[in-house]
Amino acid sequence: MVNLNGIPPKNGRQYYLGLGLEGSANKLGVGIIKHPVLPRHDNSDLSHECDAEILANIRDTYITPPGEGFLPRDTARHHRNWAVRLVRRALDEAKIDGPADIDVICFTKGPGMGAPLHSVVVVARTLSLLWDVPLVGVNHCVGHIEMGREITKAENPVVLYVSGGNTQAIAYSENRYRIFGETLDIAIGNCLDRFARTLKIPNEPSPGYNIEQLAKQCKNKERLVELPYTVKGMDLSMSGILGYVESLAADLFSHNTRNKLLFDPETKEQIVTVEDICYSLQENLFAMLVEITERAMAHVNSNQVLIVGGVGCNVRLQEMMAQMCHERSNGQVHATDERFCIDNGVMIAQAGLLQYRMGGAVKDLSETVVTQKFRTDEVYVAWRE
Amino acid sequence: MKSSHRPELSHTLSLNIPFENERQAEIAVNALSPDPILKPQDFHIIYTKNASDLSILFSAVDDRVLRVGVSSIIESVKTVIETIDELQ
Repeated sequence: MVNLNGIPPKNGRQYYLGLGLEGSANKLGVGIIKHPVLPRHDNSDLSHECDAEILANIRDTYITPPGEGFLPRDTARHHRNWAVRLVRRALDEAKIDGPADIDVICFTKGPGMGAPLHSVVVVARTLSLLWDVPLVGVNHCVGHIEMGREITKAENPVVLYVSGGNTQAIAYSENRYRIFGETLDIAIGNCLDRFARTLKIPNEPSPGYNIEQLAKQCKNKERLVELPYTVKGMDLSMSGILGYVESLAADLFSHNTRNKLLFDPETKEQIVTVEDICYSLQENLFAMLVEITERAMAHVNSNQVLIVGGVGCNVRLQEMMAQMCHERSNGQVHATDERFCIDNGVMIAQAGLLQYRMGGAVKDLSETVVTQKFRTDEVYVAWRE
Repeated sequence: MKSSHRPELSHTLSLNIPFENERQAEIAVNALSPDPILKPQDFHIIYTKNASDLSILFSAVDDRVLRVGVSSIIESVKTVIETIDELQ
């Protein structure tokens, strides 16, 4: 059994406060979370029922013009410009008297882009030294998983983690979040974002969201544009699909009537629209995700799925997953909305606070070096059975 | 700081940044020093606290490496100073 109350809160309080700083990609997030001390946590496996209260969840996204992606250097500069202001706003919103009241400062240790990660950890270290508050380095993926578990109360789900940088099907076993299947090349969010760049549609609020909206306007849903379907056992490959849809889009824009998929060979009339390609791309990619998730569920005998990560907000993905779960022994799908799906500071605070309560605080600042590669299964999950 | 100035890195620059007090200078040293240098054979940094000053000694193989390295550290120093200024 796990004892989450081994390390008492500061100043004899009956609750813990965690500050989370996230900046592994183009979102900068600051969150503050509160965990009450609950007697049931003395001896249980209830890390997904912390009765967490979110005191602040502030995010600022670095948005680039249509057709452009975000580069590490510029993103790091954005984070440096905003970090202190966001921390100030979060503290004000949470109405925290003195920063010394905070039990732990949690930051993203990785995986992610090096320069943005580094810009945030410098703030985290300075705050820790300034306020004399311990630090905890959090794995970004584990942050997503723990936030999803706390919000949805899913006890032991198969986790599908889909974002701009990661695509993994994960299941818990013996103190590790184990990766059952993952992408062999690019992440699903990267595939969607780069297609959005080809289409030159806005990156505001997010490129994937705009593709989802275009897909909804598809008037030809019975007739899918045939795309490569690349499930490799438990893994996926998406770079070939991206290359293929990009060539379709190029033919469409240059009005290349020799492409018989897009133009009627007789009349030369256009038979496929951008909306149709967006719809088919989503259907195809999400079907691949549903397939590997179902296989992972069969392996671990689970009937719950938790979808986390930025692409997890996509309503169509949630629908398709729900249909699979329903047809498969009445399972359930758990997903969260954009506040918690998209990168945020609260999720880092949630996972970090769990780690802190199990005695996982940083003992020397040399442990706070950030890393671009940090696999989900490297983390020892002390807070679960 | 474990290693001293290295003679093969001939291009050097020393920065002295005054803080309000010794504690702040100490915080700056501790917040900046954990990060490893990507190419230690080409570039080297020594952070020290001199009373209430943060002293940084850079040494590099050539002027380009020195310029790039120094400007990236200055960005981090600015972040540390802003954090201390606003959130003390």
